[in-house]
Amino acid sequence: MIELKNLVKRFGDLVAVNDISLTVGRGEFFAVLGPNAAGKTTTIKILTALIKPTSGTAHICGFDVQQQPLEVRRRLAYVPDFPFLYDKLTPWEFLRFTGQIFRMDEEAIQRSTRELIPRFNLEPYLRQPIEGLSHGTRQRVAIVSALMHAPEVFILDEPMVGLDPHHTRVVKDVLKERSLQGMTVFLSTHQLSIAEEMADRIGIIHHGRLIAVGTRDELRRQSGSDGALEKSFLALTAQEANFVEEKSALKDREPEITIA
Amino acid sequence: MSSTAHTANIPTPFRLLLRIHLLQMRRKFRSARDQSSLLVGALIVFLTGYTILASGLFYRALHFAGRFPGLGEMLIERMIYLLFSFLFLLLLFSNIVIGYTNLFRNKETAFLITLPISAQDIFRWKFLESALLASWAFLLLIAPLLGAYGLEQNAPWHFYLLGPVLIALFIVLPAVFGCWVAITIARHLDRRLFQLLTVLVVLLTFIGLSAYWKPQVLDEENLETRVISVLDRLLTKTRFSQFPFLPSYWLSSGVLHWVEGALSAAVFFVLVLLSNVGFFGLLAFTKTGRFFYSALSATHSRSHVLGQWEWFRNWTALRRQFHYRAGAMEYLLRLVPRLEPDTRALLLKDMRVFWRDTAQWGQTLVLFALIGVYISNLRYFTQQLANPFWVHLISYMNLAACSLNLATLTTRFVFPQFSLEGKRLWIVGLAPLGLVRVVKAKLLLSITASLIVTLPLIWISCDMLKLPLAQKFYFAGAIIVMTFTLNTLAIGLGALYPNMKEDQPSKIVSGFGGTFCLVLSFLYIVASVLLLSFGSPWGGMDFLTPNFKVLGWIGFAVLSVALGWLPYRWGLHRVATFEH
Repeated sequence: MIELKNLVKRFGDLVAVNDISLTVGRGEFFAVLGPNAAGKTTTIKILTALIKPTSGTAHICGFDVQQQPLEVRRRLAYVPDFPFLYDKLTPWEFLRFTGQIFRMDEEAIQRSTRELIPRFNLEPYLRQPIEGLSHGTRQRVAIVSALMHAPEVFILDEPMVGLDPHHTRVVKDVLKERSLQGMTVFLSTHQLSIAEEMADRIGIIHHGRLIAVGTRDELRRQSGSDGALEKSFLALTAQEANFVEEKSALKDREPEITIA
Repeated sequence: MSSTAHTANIPTPFRLLLRIHLLQMRRKFRSARDQSSLLVGALIVFLTGYTILASGLFYRALHFAGRFPGLGEMLIERMIYLLFSFLFLLLLFSNIVIGYTNLFRNKETAFLITLPISAQDIFRWKFLESALLASWAFLLLIAPLLGAYGLEQNAPWHFYLLGPVLIALFIVLPAVFGCWVAITIARHLDRRLFQLLTVLVVLLTFIGLSAYWKPQVLDEENLETRVISVLDRLLTKTRFSQFPFLPSYWLSSGVLHWVEGALSAAVFFVLVLLSNVGFFGLLAFTKTGRFFYSALSATHSRSHVLGQWEWFRNWTALRRQFHYRAGAMEYLLRLVPRLEPDTRALLLKDMRVFWRDTAQWGQTLVLFALIGVYISNLRYFTQQLANPFWVHLISYMNLAACSLNLATLTTRFVFPQFSLEGKRLWIVGLAPLGLVRVVKAKLLLSITASLIVTLPLIWISCDMLKLPLAQKFYFAGAIIVMTFTLNTLAIGLGALYPNMKEDQPSKIVSGFGGTFCLVLSFLYIVASVLLLSFGSPWGGMDFLTPNFKVLGWIGFAVLSVALGWLPYRWGLHRVATFEH
């Protein structure tokens, strides 16, 4: 479903994504963890075709993100941490708009909204302008709008920000259900507990590199630590930081060779 | 998922976008009307007043130029060509700036690119939006002119029907060219060669234009006896506006021929315009999308526009080494005596925020640069400035222009200051400093910053007019009082009508309080300039008795206290009892 091959993205001197290769299968729940500015959001931006990679390829559902962006977007849904919504529209109007953009007919829109709106407790807000809604409610509107067209791949960047515990649970349940039905979930988060609870596999990105991938137990083994995911995460990122420092120190000590 | 027959009824993405934006616009107007009837009223009065005043002034100007013996018609014709050619350049510039922002620095574009909408459709929508945003002010400028021209020339009724069609066609071309320039900039902005070439082109253009339009001061003899020769020079310098490949030439020629009744010639130029609009419009609507996507990706992939230069990379590397020292601005503020550390911290924060918000100081710079250019050009009016009547009139006009500029800035930047602290009340509101001192510190900063600009401007303008020292001090005193009043009015009303929900200063200003502040500032300036001119001891109002002149000063003082001090005191009282 998602296939990244030797993906590189440079911003001037900075290598934001450094040779990432990864495959996420159909119906898999994949969580990406990493410190701030690790390269998670840049990877997501490439997957959603917002930016082009410097080199390497990204495929979603077998389609090249750069070559066949429309085919990709028809099968994809994306919710960022602060999603864009049209402030003067009501949630109902916005949901209809996104449904129609995804070429859903009236019957499909009705079926989908009747299933999702009560589940996310959006009924009391359907006729209010979006500008007056709280951040959590806006987030729920964005998630419902993304799920309406039954995407094959769902990419989320910190989706739980601003959600109360009840609605966090709702989002988790819906994502798990859809994942079991075959939807691939690619979730970027700092909340290790969510990744630990939900993900089939977890990837850790640090300094633009995918330093570890695997199930919770596999990560524990790779890190050499035991217990919670937090310990594995801290151990793996610390190892990577030491590796980068040593590499840089070695580079500094390299003798200059002059060929006469 | 759904049948083809059903999905065929779903509007295209472009039509869907158009529909939701029209719906949003209708709601924005409705909510503006519901929130502030004063704002709507002020807008209607302004638009009506502007249309009437502009039409009247254009009519009189055209009538005046038309009476010039033998050359009247030619002068009017050249004025029309010249005006449209400058408006074309203005529109082009406006489309480049708005097109760039709307296409590449817009949250909606980033959202749309993740949906199954083709890059061409997104570009099509954003192009239309940018063209309308960039051109509405042009329509406002041009409508009274065309109306006045038609009236002055006794144009047939169908001229008034053709006018809007021609204008609608005309705005398409700068919109297309503007978007293409914006896309080129977005794609290549970080390339060193592109940057060097751009700087070179801008410099050469500036030097070329300065040389071509170098002001030529005319003496009395030339003005009296060599009018034809002077006019000839003027017409030669403005001949560029009749270059046949300029779109403004086709529009102007169409308009002029239509008014003259030469319909076949007019139709020819309309068709030239139409065919170009059709060709370039089609290119924009069908082919530009593919370049748009590359440009968008390039914009989002850019770390810094100067990132390709070695010196810049070294400089940023140096800046990364942190030395735990106070900044230069802080050292400067430490030199100000009797400034408490907490007040200094607040002032420093405000100065840094202002300095780093390019949009804010950019607007300020443009406004005062324009008035600066105007004042520096006064030196070329040597003939008129020998006449005391003109000197007197211009000196008060300068005072009015300077204070009107200031009023725009105090409403735009000083009024929202208290509201902007709303989101930061968790730190500023809870600090031992107290909100009253916060407001006082902001007033101190805004008055100081305003005076740094207004006082030299007025002094230089007086100097250009060669006014005696006493008169210079008179105007300097007047602008000091007006600067205090306009700032205290803006701060006071900002505290009385806060809007703590908004982050954007422009949105805070567009409510009732901001409009009220602008209206009051405007009325204050008009009344003050009139009162000061009544009270002027120098020329102009000789028919007034000395007592009446003193009344003018007293009136000015009372007005300044009423509109400055009182709202400020009420604002402070409100802040002292503010519940957050």
